[in-house]
Amino acid sequence: MSRAEQIYHRLIVWLLFLILALPLVATLLYAVSSDWSNTILPEGYSLKWFIQLWSDGRFLTALGHSLLICFGALIFSLVLVLPAMFVIAYYYPRLDAVMNVLILMPFAVPPVVSSVGLLQLYSSSPLMLTGTPWILIGCYFTIALPFIYRAIANNMQAINLRELIDAAHLLGASTWQAALFVVLPNLRKGVLIAVLLSFSFLIGEFVFANLLVGNRYETLQVYLFNMRNGSGHFTSALVISYFFVVLLVTWLANVLNPERG
Amino acid sequence: MRGKRLALLLLLPFALFWVAFQLAPLVWIAINSFWSEMNEAWGWDNYHDILTSPFYLQAFRFSLDISFWSSVYGLLISLIAGYSLHQVGSGRLQRFMMSFTNMTSNFAGVPLAFAFVILLGLNGCLTLLLRHYELIESFKLFSRNGMVLVYTWFQIPLGVLLLYPAFDGLKRDWQESAALLGASRWRYWWHIGLPILFPALLGTFVILLANALGAYATIYALTTGNFNVVPVRIAALVSGDISLDPNTGSALAMLLVLIMALITVVQQYLVRRSYLNAK
Amino acid sequence: MSYLEVKQLNKSYGPTQIFQQIDFSAEEGEFVTLLGPSGCGKSTLLRCLAGLTSVDSGQILLQGKDIVPLSPQNRHIGMVFQSYALFPNMTVEKNVAFGLKMQKLPGHEVQQRVTEVLALVELTEFARRYPHQLSGGQCQRVALARSLVTRPRLLLLDEPLSALDARIRRHLRDQIRRIQKELKLTTLFVTHDQEEALTLSDRIVLMNKGKIVQNGDAESLYTQPVDHFAAGFIGHYNLLSAEQATQLTGQTFHSQVAIRPETIRFTPLGSGIPAEIISHTLLGNVIRYRVSAHGIELSIDVLNRTAADLHPVGMQIGLQLEMSTLRQVA
Repeated sequence: MSRAEQIYHRLIVWLLFLILALPLVATLLYAVSSDWSNTILPEGYSLKWFIQLWSDGRFLTALGHSLLICFGALIFSLVLVLPAMFVIAYYYPRLDAVMNVLILMPFAVPPVVSSVGLLQLYSSSPLMLTGTPWILIGCYFTIALPFIYRAIANNMQAINLRELIDAAHLLGASTWQAALFVVLPNLRKGVLIAVLLSFSFLIGEFVFANLLVGNRYETLQVYLFNMRNGSGHFTSALVISYFFVVLLVTWLANVLNPERG
Repeated sequence: MRGKRLALLLLLPFALFWVAFQLAPLVWIAINSFWSEMNEAWGWDNYHDILTSPFYLQAFRFSLDISFWSSVYGLLISLIAGYSLHQVGSGRLQRFMMSFTNMTSNFAGVPLAFAFVILLGLNGCLTLLLRHYELIESFKLFSRNGMVLVYTWFQIPLGVLLLYPAFDGLKRDWQESAALLGASRWRYWWHIGLPILFPALLGTFVILLANALGAYATIYALTTGNFNVVPVRIAALVSGDISLDPNTGSALAMLLVLIMALITVVQQYLVRRSYLNAK
Repeated sequence: MSYLEVKQLNKSYGPTQIFQQIDFSAEEGEFVTLLGPSGCGKSTLLRCLAGLTSVDSGQILLQGKDIVPLSPQNRHIGMVFQSYALFPNMTVEKNVAFGLKMQKLPGHEVQQRVTEVLALVELTEFARRYPHQLSGGQCQRVALARSLVTRPRLLLLDEPLSALDARIRRHLRDQIRRIQKELKLTTLFVTHDQEEALTLSDRIVLMNKGKIVQNGDAESLYTQPVDHFAAGFIGHYNLLSAEQATQLTGQTFHSQVAIRPETIRFTPLGSGIPAEIISHTLLGNVIRYRVSAHGIELSIDVLNRTAADLHPVGMQIGLQLEMSTLRQVA
């Protein structure tokens, strides 16, 4: 590749970075500025908005709700999906094609559309789920499914599931023992990737949270939306904090992963 | 094998929840789109009302307009940026940008709406900057063009991430032999590069289109339901903002799903006709 | 002035010297092979000739003019890649016609030349097929046709047969040579396979670690290797140290000695140098023996003519050397 080409490509990549970073930078500036009404750059800088935010009980509650639901939904999903995927991979490999179609559904049927049916089905007894965090756990499971499935399916393929279990059998283990002690530990990487991808997606979810639960169990995104008429500085601090939380979780997960990221 | 049948039990909880939260709502919508609350009868009434109402038709027009153009621009930008990202070679810059692009793909929704108000709202810093240098008179964020801009922005990370693997399939050999046969860079792209990428480009375009058509959070946060697009209309009909009519909402939803299914069918057809499946 | 002259070519990549002070030439219509082990710089040298990689210094004179400043588009050189590099979105016809299209030739002439060259490589019935529908050997022939149809001044082939299986390789090898002779096309062929080099070339340029070791025709390269690397690379020379050679033959030697395995003859025990057979391997028409004489292990190749040529392991036998075929090497 010639020098000119290299320079061109680097330039384009930096341009991409600029375009993508602009809204983030603007929000950050707004969050740390004391006043910024109609000038190109802020009139002063201050951290007061962050202090105000993090001492706000409602924010902390919303944060707690979001983290609880996201992790809860993730754990729930893993508990449901991992055994199912193992069964399919080992006993019914032909169902894999079916699964590949199933996981496309959240993309073909957007959350807005699903909400219509969900509201009608679960708003009245015997299954009064709307307005409670439980319906979110169920919905988030369907959202996280494609990410979890893809990450773990790739992992399973890489470790050659069948051979591992056969080897374990020959050494005297039952299928159950093989799954627990041989397969599961080797899926750590896939699970980690699945959790990372899904977590950032779930914590940014607004549609289900707003339409199905609303203010009865306020998540971060709903709280953010409800604060829209308040101070722009405050909401910017909120967005930056939310982003910071996501980055923190991502970084923690990468640190906990002993292999190369 | 007894173990095998027992294993099926493990599939049960998964299947149960999937049906309950993914399939059942869809089935409910499909069925109840044919029930008209007003006339208390089964039939095509809801569909008829929608397709003859200028208001709903406008919603479809706006949805398709914004989704189509943001996907086109998004795809173009993803193509150029994604290719450069691929060509810049594995190293710190590439790794950083891949994670960064991944990160920004989750910025969409309410946070993005607020960020764009800061940038391009009435007193947004970019608006002021552009007005200062007399590049534009004023920029209306809450307009069709504003929406296309915002939608294009959140299509870019998705487009780049989807398209990136396709560039691995562009072998350097092809560019080199094309060069030796006398093709300039442009002619290589026109005759060889882009045609080879075509299936991936089309597939990405369809996903971007579906992504835009179903997007609700961003546009709702920006305009609080004052901009007429299909997802906003659907949500309005079921959350009782103005009138609670889940059946019409269902019909609208079914129409949306139908459009997306149609787009996918067209895409599959076009890919089948391409060189990949030459007999 | 030769048709192709490469003068003092140098190329390094960072701290690594890929090749240095490369000097060689080719006459018009000559088939020259660049031979050497992986990493010797031969492929990079070829790519520099094509203009796909830049050189640090030196000249490449094609028909008298230096082509180093020219881009690949303007060098009018044809190249066949190891991976064929056929454009997957085009039929065989369109692939072959591509270069002519870039030259903006009129449609009917394009059609005529394409038909001609497809007949030359015997692929006329496959004109409308796509690359993914062809076998490896067919793909390589299309790649060859695509390079030939533009009537290039020079043809470069970068290990074009390495990805093919043995039988196809031999067949295609002969076809390439036949076409090359017919068209009188100056050709540079890169390979690490010495058998290919020996059978195809008018001349062989042997390279090692970025330098040219020896430059000559097949016969001289095979029978007169210039140093121990050349002796070790071409053929299956027995390489003996000076002391070993002195011990074996009785004559005094002061440098390493290379002996070709087919130049040592078996004689009945009692005459010649006493030796014991350690192993034998049947290579088809040749039997390769490993023998031990005076504690030195040697390879001996014998034509598999009759059952009498197959000697059992452990047999005591005599060796006779043809002293004129012994090569002293550096």
